[in-house]
Amino acid sequence: MSLKKFKTNDIILNTMKTHPECEFFVFDGVVYYNNSPHPHSGAFSANVLNVSPGFISLYEYNIDKSKDINPFIYPFITKDSSGGSFKTAVCSQKNGVIADNEWIVAVPGEPLYGTYPQTASITRELLGQPTGSATAGTRAKMYTTGTAEDGTPTSEPTTVSGVQIYSEPTYRHYWSLRNRLNNYEYMSPHFAITGSLVGPNATGSWWDPASPMRGGVEVSWIKDQQIINLISIPSIFYGSTIKPGTVSLKWYFTGSLAGELQDTKQNGELIQVSGSSQGFASHAVGSDGTGSVAGVVLYNEGFILLTGSWALNDETIPLVKDDTDSYSPSWRYFGAGTQDGVTQATTATAFNSASFSLSFKGTTETQVMTMFANAKRGEVNYSNNPTFLEYGQDVLNKTSSVVYEENSSRLIKNTVSSSYTDYSASFKRQVYVSRVAIYDESRNLIGLATLSNPVLKEEDQDFTFKIRLDM
Amino acid sequence: MSVKNFESLNTNTDTTTTRTLLHEAIPLTGAIVSGTYGQEASEDNVKNFTHGMFQSVYDYPYLSSSANHIFDITMGYHSTSPFSSSASEQNAKKINMYNEFAQVLLGYTGSANDIEIFESDLDFGDNDNQMKSCYFINFSRLLTKDQIKKGTFNLVLSTGSWAQGITAPSFPSGPNITLTDVSASATAGTNTKGNGGEYGVLYNNDFPNGTGYGLVFYQAGIAIITSSVWDTVAQNPGAANFYRRHADGFVQSISGAFTGSAISASCDALRHRMCNISFNNTTEINSSIYFCRASHNKFNYSTNPSYVSGSKIRVKQIATDNPVTYITTIGLYNSSNELLAVAKLSEPLKKTPENELTLRVRLDY
Repeated sequence: MSLKKFKTNDIILNTMKTHPECEFFVFDGVVYYNNSPHPHSGAFSANVLNVSPGFISLYEYNIDKSKDINPFIYPFITKDSSGGSFKTAVCSQKNGVIADNEWIVAVPGEPLYGTYPQTASITRELLGQPTGSATAGTRAKMYTTGTAEDGTPTSEPTTVSGVQIYSEPTYRHYWSLRNRLNNYEYMSPHFAITGSLVGPNATGSWWDPASPMRGGVEVSWIKDQQIINLISIPSIFYGSTIKPGTVSLKWYFTGSLAGELQDTKQNGELIQVSGSSQGFASHAVGSDGTGSVAGVVLYNEGFILLTGSWALNDETIPLVKDDTDSYSPSWRYFGAGTQDGVTQATTATAFNSASFSLSFKGTTETQVMTMFANAKRGEVNYSNNPTFLEYGQDVLNKTSSVVYEENSSRLIKNTVSSSYTDYSASFKRQVYVSRVAIYDESRNLIGLATLSNPVLKEEDQDFTFKIRLDM
Repeated sequence: MSVKNFESLNTNTDTTTTRTLLHEAIPLTGAIVSGTYGQEASEDNVKNFTHGMFQSVYDYPYLSSSANHIFDITMGYHSTSPFSSSASEQNAKKINMYNEFAQVLLGYTGSANDIEIFESDLDFGDNDNQMKSCYFINFSRLLTKDQIKKGTFNLVLSTGSWAQGITAPSFPSGPNITLTDVSASATAGTNTKGNGGEYGVLYNNDFPNGTGYGLVFYQAGIAIITSSVWDTVAQNPGAANFYRRHADGFVQSISGAFTGSAISASCDALRHRMCNISFNNTTEINSSIYFCRASHNKFNYSTNPSYVSGSKIRVKQIATDNPVTYITTIGLYNSSNELLAVAKLSEPLKKTPENELTLRVRLDY
């Protein structure tokens, strides 16, 4: 074994960027991830992964488990002063008191439990009610109750310095994204919560006939007043960011493509690139919505917000949970059935005419260390393997209480292959390199690279072994 | 009022490190390794190899992408074992297998560098309680993680006749016994001198005399069971009726399984005697903790554009009002003022000149 030190140019650090592709297909309230079929049933469980279709299971090692017969693997830690706890504490019961946070209930030294499998999938929320007055930004006004002079109770809107005070919003997920939407306005004006002023030549906003007003001036839109279709994508599916230009949303009606959105400008705008071309003269941009912006995608955060309300064809089907009314297929109903409770049972049988596809590429960055281990001629030509020497030679030359001397005349076994029978080739010094070990500065073994096949190195050969380490 | 938003961390007083041990309870139901996924010798979750030196066991039929490798089983004996004979099936491989485990886990002894022999006690140098013929169960790193938690390993074994199977009652009403490292703990009951890390003794929990019948190596994730467990324990020893070969119905003793059967067949026999296995694993999570201190006269101003309106601080009604900020984010910078990490608060914290805050930022890795 030879120890050699890496030089400056022998170690290279790179970042490997990959773009894994994800596709979700939604049909009849069931999500299919990357065209995977439904997990099959096992001996103990009806679903060997123990997760719903469309979900992925972190670690995937509770396979074919059931609660009683083949119990689940579960994590736990011990409560101590370091304050470690699971992000989602399990509801527990102690002394007959049900607590919603076991951290509060447990005393130091007691275990805090978690559960597997941990799962993730896309979800859809319809922010607003198509048949009601609720919109994405709906908030209830706060009221101050009092008593009138005649003793009757009163209720007046609560104001501070003349400004109305509101209670918590109906759709909190939308409100948490408002700042991010405004932040990305530099990429596209379609991110803005409040659209641009309607200019003197504008004929009105086709995608919000109500012509929203702000400060007494007509603007092209106010997202607070719109019905928004919010699709949330957990980061485990896309890594650090969704790759711009790869997002595609397809709306299928009875199996035929009714419309497709793509972020062709790579700026977050989701532009309709194809439609069913059945003629919609009222659309300002395209006859069937083609070319119109139906929503935006937040690449870094993994959210898609769709506001496009134009009809994609002239059919109507039920698309809203607990609502048997029929609606024209539009982008605000894209993904209906994605963990949002919309099924045939909560709408009507005709809901199964709709199906949806969402695809995109993610981005992952992996730090890669490339090391070049040089074995120059005249180097790395000896092995500590006992078989490197001729068999049967004395190891020691002399040993006593004061002397320890190895046999210095031991012979190296000649491994040179001869081309002729009954003829031994002339001795040449050569080794077979089978492994390259990496040591730290203290000579601790920290890595080992094993070659698929040992490489013959003769004394007059230069070799460089390229070792790659993904971190 | 200071508007400085960077504060240097004192590495002596503002940072510390801590370690959290994350455990997982791993229950392995014996049925899944002995018949759930197929008949003996042709189970879909057990993979045998042409080299015949060990067999791999999965938690589900291994042709499925969902299957996880859970452990390998092999067996072997020392060259001085009574089972060692040139007439024994795969004699050399069984000796080699024993030697390989002993070399890796225990090491060598004496001037001749002889390979150590496993012993069912904590002193492998005293040459008593030697285990010269053993089964080796090599658990997957997926299950053991950094190490098996000491004092949590349990293996319920069937020691009766093969016909009684794994569903027989436990001792004392039946032949099933529990081997456990109950005497091992984080501070005692283990040996740390072997090459393979710490190990504890697997005692027969059903006999109070504390006879050891195996070892468990915590960091290596390997359990070793001596063949004598079927010779000496339980009411109905299975030594004579250890294994019924599926192919021809031939019944073998424990001795016959070690000498007259291939390694794979002997491993089949052991699997069909595993009633249950359970242990807890351990993963070390190291953390750095940064105490970010906001004294009363600092961090009372924000560079957020929305903090001012018309060159006036929004939150001040009159000039004498104290400024107020809401802390939402903490950025950790290196010495070159490059942002390395960002910590978000679950909810904004109000900061005024009248209060001081210490925010504890924890970085796990």
